[in-house]
Amino acid sequence: MARDYDHLFKLLIIGDSGVGKSSLLLRFSDNTFTGSYITTIGVDFKIKTVNIDGQKVKLQIWDTAGQERFRTITSTYYRGTHGVVIVYDVTNGETFANVKRWLHEIDQNCDVVNRVLVGNKNDTPDRKVVLTEDAQRFADTMNIRLFETSAKDNINVEEMFMAITKLVLKSKLEMKELHNAQNDVVNLREKKKSGKKSKCC
Amino acid sequence: MTLPLSGRIFIANDNICLIFKRSYKYIMYATKQPSLRINQADLQCKEGCGFYGNADWDGYCSKCYRNHMEQARRKKLKQAANAQSGHQGESSKSQVSGFTKFEEKKRQQTDKKTKYFKSLPVFKKTSSAKDIGKPEKYAGLRQSNDPDADKLKTEFLSKYKYLGDEIRRDFLRFSDSFIRQILEDTNVKPVDELAEIAQKRYNVYNTRINSYHLYQQVSAEVRAELEDFLEKYTMTALYTSLFCPSSTNDEDKDLSIQDRIRKLTWVNAHHLDCCISETSLEVRDLVYTAINDLLGMDSVKAPQEKLQCVVKCCRSVVEVLQHCQGGPVSADEFLPALIFVVLKANPARLKSNILYVTRFCKESRLMQGEAGYYFTNLCCAVSFIENLTAESLNMPEQEFQSYMSGEMTTVSAWDSALVACEGMHQLCEHLSLLNNLNERNISIQEEKNKLMEEMNALKEDIKRKVSSVLESTPLVIKPRKSISVTDEKPSGGSLLSNIAIATHNSENIDKTKLTLDLTPCIKFPCIIEDNIEEDNVLKPSLSADLLSPFEQSFEGTTPDDNSILGLSKVNYDIDLSDLSAENSMAEALTPEKRFSPTPSYTPDPFSPVGTTCTITQQPLIPSSVPLQMTVQKEPQQIKDDFVAPFLEDLTRETAEETLLDKIEATPTINLPPPINPIKTEYSGFSKQGWKIPSIPCNTGDYSSLSSQPGTSKQDE
Repeated sequence: MARDYDHLFKLLIIGDSGVGKSSLLLRFSDNTFTGSYITTIGVDFKIKTVNIDGQKVKLQIWDTAGQERFRTITSTYYRGTHGVVIVYDVTNGETFANVKRWLHEIDQNCDVVNRVLVGNKNDTPDRKVVLTEDAQRFADTMNIRLFETSAKDNINVEEMFMAITKLVLKSKLEMKELHNAQNDVVNLREKKKSGKKSKCC
Repeated sequence: MTLPLSGRIFIANDNICLIFKRSYKYIMYATKQPSLRINQADLQCKEGCGFYGNADWDGYCSKCYRNHMEQARRKKLKQAANAQSGHQGESSKSQVSGFTKFEEKKRQQTDKKTKYFKSLPVFKKTSSAKDIGKPEKYAGLRQSNDPDADKLKTEFLSKYKYLGDEIRRDFLRFSDSFIRQILEDTNVKPVDELAEIAQKRYNVYNTRINSYHLYQQVSAEVRAELEDFLEKYTMTALYTSLFCPSSTNDEDKDLSIQDRIRKLTWVNAHHLDCCISETSLEVRDLVYTAINDLLGMDSVKAPQEKLQCVVKCCRSVVEVLQHCQGGPVSADEFLPALIFVVLKANPARLKSNILYVTRFCKESRLMQGEAGYYFTNLCCAVSFIENLTAESLNMPEQEFQSYMSGEMTTVSAWDSALVACEGMHQLCEHLSLLNNLNERNISIQEEKNKLMEEMNALKEDIKRKVSSVLESTPLVIKPRKSISVTDEKPSGGSLLSNIAIATHNSENIDKTKLTLDLTPCIKFPCIIEDNIEEDNVLKPSLSADLLSPFEQSFEGTTPDDNSILGLSKVNYDIDLSDLSAENSMAEALTPEKRFSPTPSYTPDPFSPVGTTCTITQQPLIPSSVPLQMTVQKEPQQIKDDFVAPFLEDLTRETAEETLLDKIEATPTINLPPPINPIKTEYSGFSKQGWKIPSIPCNTGDYSSLSSQPGTSKQDE
């Protein structure tokens, strides 16, 4: 099938309500700077195509409701997700504390998925509560990359999304190689099966 | 032939029963097929539990049937344990591989067992044992293809005609084998396995369409279209057997969620922390459209159509939020709003629809894209409603319980809107209508006042002008005594000189004006007449002396002029000033032609106008001597110009003059008596319109010229 992209990835943005998930999304998808912006369908459903190492990657980013009461039911969002962006608010300690719970949520719903941790609203140093060192230490222990962004001032947003996309692409290519290695065996079986089927019919 | 026919009726019967059973609230569906005449009692469960029964379930309702079957199964198990064991072992073997969770496995197994027994009545129904074999079964199965699928088939055949027969045949062969496989398996395999089969089939077709040489010519878009169409066609054909299949407890889930939502009617936007302003009329309309779209989900068949309904609904919800809060909408606000809409809509067979779409919609469609996103949100909303607790609404447990038990009720704007919906709606609409009318009324009043003022101003202005004219003109008449003696051409000049003398006191501009105005001699008497009327009764004698030469020729016109109001007098002055002799001539001539023959016109040798007329006439007469020529030319000229004098087109002075002269000249010479009526006809046409006269004018001419047959033939 002829497509205008090489890969299609689904990314999920999670985090407490009010940490600026949607504004990150808006900043990333509607920023005219990149020029590769394709379309905005609805408001909280965005598609964007980025170019990574000469490969066109189409990103569809799903925004999620962050309220506590929706936490248990949002598991359906995780279906077929390639990467997850966990967002907290650097001016709100509680949202950072909740990151652990969000990570737990991911573990429950996905087997293997790429993740990044994002401290948003990093534009007013006076109000910053979550120190970069603490966040970095936490990220290291969880083996996640940390980004401190500001959707308002457009700091680090592009970089963050590109990083998660690269992660996803990398793991996909690795998976492909792994799959190709196994494929020879599988193919034989499949051929046999199909042969049988055709006889039946 | 009778067999399939009876089968069809039976199945139709089944459908109705299903509909009745599942949503007996919506009786409107049943009324669509009144021809079947089913008694209410026939539809109800055999056990008499009050629910509707189903022919598929031996006339029981689902619950009673389940109990019934459970009992029968136990009996049979005891009786024929040996015969069952082989089959049982085989089936369980195949299942173990398919499922991982024990709980699910168990359920599937029991499903399968019950299905085995369920299949018994089906076979009875078609009055065919297993050994009668496939063709018989297929005949029955074919009947389940509903008309929608046939419609889609014909649509497909016509739409993709350009693809050629082979591709279409391949598509239909594939889809038919797809449908046949699923139909064969519906009574044997659990619905989740069927879903797997369907997904596999989609994938098989996908690889086929992308690799098979037959499809090489087909563009990528059309390939995608074909894939979508396969899904749509097969699922529409299989809808009755795959939607809410009897092997599952989808129906129970439907009923429980419906009941749940009914209990939660008291939940309002405030409880869900969503900012839907319930009082705004526009927002309410948008919410209604969202609800309608969601309800529409149940009435379409193909999964993608159902998804489309969800997308439409969600777009409306987004619009509502944009309207309420202004600016971009995030999922934090969207999900509560969607939950609110689902709660207020309480769609029929919600759970069945969701499960049907998740099972049989192409997986990729659900994982990505707008439809996938919104459908996921809908699933979340439903699961939130299912698991809704006091905590999730941020309210104390006690309050929640009292709401649920109905002890407490809320009075929200939305509720009142729903209850007194129509009245409120109309009231609001009428109020806005009244406001609108009031505004318009005020504006009309203002306009009216303005107009009144303008009219008054105009009146004043005119009065002032008239009086100023009156002030300046009476001076004109007194020196006239001396002028009345002179009759010849220089009379105009002498008049002017007299006036100039008289108006020594008035301003220079007025003087020039007067001189300009008065140079044409004809205008002058008219002014004088006007003045005479308004000024003095004494003057007539003077004016009579003065006007006597003119009056003779213009008797017809002057009374008309006098009868016109003071307002028009001013205009009349101006008109005449521009047109001078010719205009007055036209008016003077026409009445004469109509009512009186030439005599009144001929004896005016005194006036300068009269003399000019006679002069212009004379040279024309010789030119129009050849009869044919004049007859042919005349009507055309009349066409153009005859109307002009009536409209007083001031620019065509010369044209009028010549025309009038011609008219005057030719009839008098050639055909004096018969031409008179024709002219009256012309005038009539000219009044009717510009476009018509060409034909009647000619005919009029021909009829009048019938005395000359040669010419009329030539024309024709």
